[in-house]
Amino acid sequence: MPSTPNSASDPAPDNAGVSDTVLSVRGLTTAFNRRGHFHAAVRHVGFDLQRNETLCLVGESGCGKSVTALSLMRLLPGRRQCRVSGSAWFDGQDLLALSEPAMTRLRGARLSMIFQEPMTSLNPVLPIGAQVGEPLVFHRGLSRQEAEREALRLLDLVKIPDAARRLRQFPHQFSGGMRQRVMIAMALACRPDILFADEPTTALDVTIQAQVLALLNDLRQERNLSLVLITHDLGVVASVADRVAVMYAGEIVEQAPADRLFARPSHPYTEALLRSIPRSDRDVGELRAISGQVPPIHRMPAGCRYAPRCPVAEAACLDATPALAPLPGDPAHAVRCRVRNPAAASEGRIGHA
Amino acid sequence: MTAPTLDTAPDTGRGTGAPRFLADLLRVFNANKLSWLGLVLFVGLCLAAVFAPLLATHDPIDQSILYRLRPPSDSHWLGTDSYGRDVFSRILYGARISLIIGLASIALGLVVGGALGILAGYRGGWVDQAIMRVMDVLLSFPTLIMGLLVVAMLGASMLNLIIAIAFTVVPKFARIARAPTIAVRERDYIEACRALGYSDLRIMVVHILPNVLGEILVLASLWTATAIRIEASLSFIGLGVAPPTPTWGGMIREGFEYILDAPWLSIYPGLAVLLLVFSLNLLGDGLRDAIDPKLRE
Repeated sequence: MPSTPNSASDPAPDNAGVSDTVLSVRGLTTAFNRRGHFHAAVRHVGFDLQRNETLCLVGESGCGKSVTALSLMRLLPGRRQCRVSGSAWFDGQDLLALSEPAMTRLRGARLSMIFQEPMTSLNPVLPIGAQVGEPLVFHRGLSRQEAEREALRLLDLVKIPDAARRLRQFPHQFSGGMRQRVMIAMALACRPDILFADEPTTALDVTIQAQVLALLNDLRQERNLSLVLITHDLGVVASVADRVAVMYAGEIVEQAPADRLFARPSHPYTEALLRSIPRSDRDVGELRAISGQVPPIHRMPAGCRYAPRCPVAEAACLDATPALAPLPGDPAHAVRCRVRNPAAASEGRIGHA
Repeated sequence: MTAPTLDTAPDTGRGTGAPRFLADLLRVFNANKLSWLGLVLFVGLCLAAVFAPLLATHDPIDQSILYRLRPPSDSHWLGTDSYGRDVFSRILYGARISLIIGLASIALGLVVGGALGILAGYRGGWVDQAIMRVMDVLLSFPTLIMGLLVVAMLGASMLNLIIAIAFTVVPKFARIARAPTIAVRERDYIEACRALGYSDLRIMVVHILPNVLGEILVLASLWTATAIRIEASLSFIGLGVAPPTPTWGGMIREGFEYILDAPWLSIYPGLAVLLLVFSLNLLGDGLRDAIDPKLRE
């Protein structure tokens, strides 16, 4: 529950029994060095990820979706360029405090990530079979023969036809959609608990997009996987998300179960996002772009970060930072807007370190 | 370690990768006829070195004051040198030492320099700075001085000579390996490797090395000639192989004194070096093509 008060100083949430939370992020703040000053690209992000759940992180380019995932996977550059704070509890350990060797053991084995660009995400000089089996060789100590056999099953699993022949081929002989399937097979080889998918379908044709999304959804259910799907495509969100976190300028501005978010978008930014997508099934009136631009990282407004572009902003919005607080009467639906949600008016504790 | 149980799909139990990989390599070799020529020449030179005692027409160190500086003839196919020694026989015996020194020193330099270059390029930052500044210092010494220094410290022996020559090519290999590594490091598939939790060592050896090896191999074949030349220079100042023993580099250098009167002294061993480099270059080209999967079809 996003509304559960939980500061970074609390002990690890007790995952056993009470809930089936696999990842609990609190107060995640990632700051990048820009000419000697650190500016937060992601600020006070907090969410809980349930087992076998699809959480969508939505927002426009540069809002911190990818940085959030990269921070949790610890794939960002070192402390001189980038600083990460907060906590992320997974299986009784804080990912953000783990040693690098311990993190290396988790990455690819229990936490996996796939990227936007399938065309360039495979090593061009190695056959597909070797690459798909490699996580098993590295993390599980399988022999190359065993790994190759498992690679064959994995290619079948991601529905690549004629897998036995395909194993011998090289990435340039695969189409974009097929390569993304290969990436998924690699990411799932060691049966991870969580898969971060960073815009996995953005580079693909629309028809292929649907297939890959359906595949991810099937695999999630089959393998009891938790999926963090990063996307800017609300159509994708509507088709697969269980829960949605809308991000703007590095903050989560609204978080809710997918059906409730679409039925009752409450943050002005979410409303604007929904109004800006064309619909073929019903008339949504004039499509409206959101005026203005996301403020640059080093010139964030003092109060609500969306206030300068917000049609409903009041004077107070420019001064005080609103909190991400649950709507009255709907604890699962949290909104960071003092106008729409009175509970957000005071800078609360939710998601704060 | 227990094998993880993975889903569905019956095991078709097809063969393993290694023989298949060799078959692929052979196929590329077939596609590129010139690499076969390289292989034949190289194997020929190696066989000539191994069977030198059988093929030689004379004792390579047998001197004869009567037959000084004779041009090529029926009895001395490639002529004789200033001590009346048979040039053809000396080239055959010289192949033994020159092949070993040339290939071993380049192989050693390639492994050490390549590893340092890939490490520097992959890690960047202070590791890169530290390694490459040391390499720059080594490069700033003339090759001969550098080799001299190492042989002087270690003493003159065949092994030390190999180490000394390797030492002079290590910084060159490091530079050649570093540049493509920096380009490859930024590719998405290296990021994907990190997301799969592979160790830096694995990423460097399994994923970066095959991508940069082609360029390194081609230059290695060229630098083999340099290695043979350095051996000659070190031998000339008494730090390499002791005089009566023939080496290609040594023969070329001795021949310089008589280049106008008896050009065959330098030309024939020079041709032998050329032949070796030519064969290695064709081999290197073939291997580079074999590594590139797009040419494997």
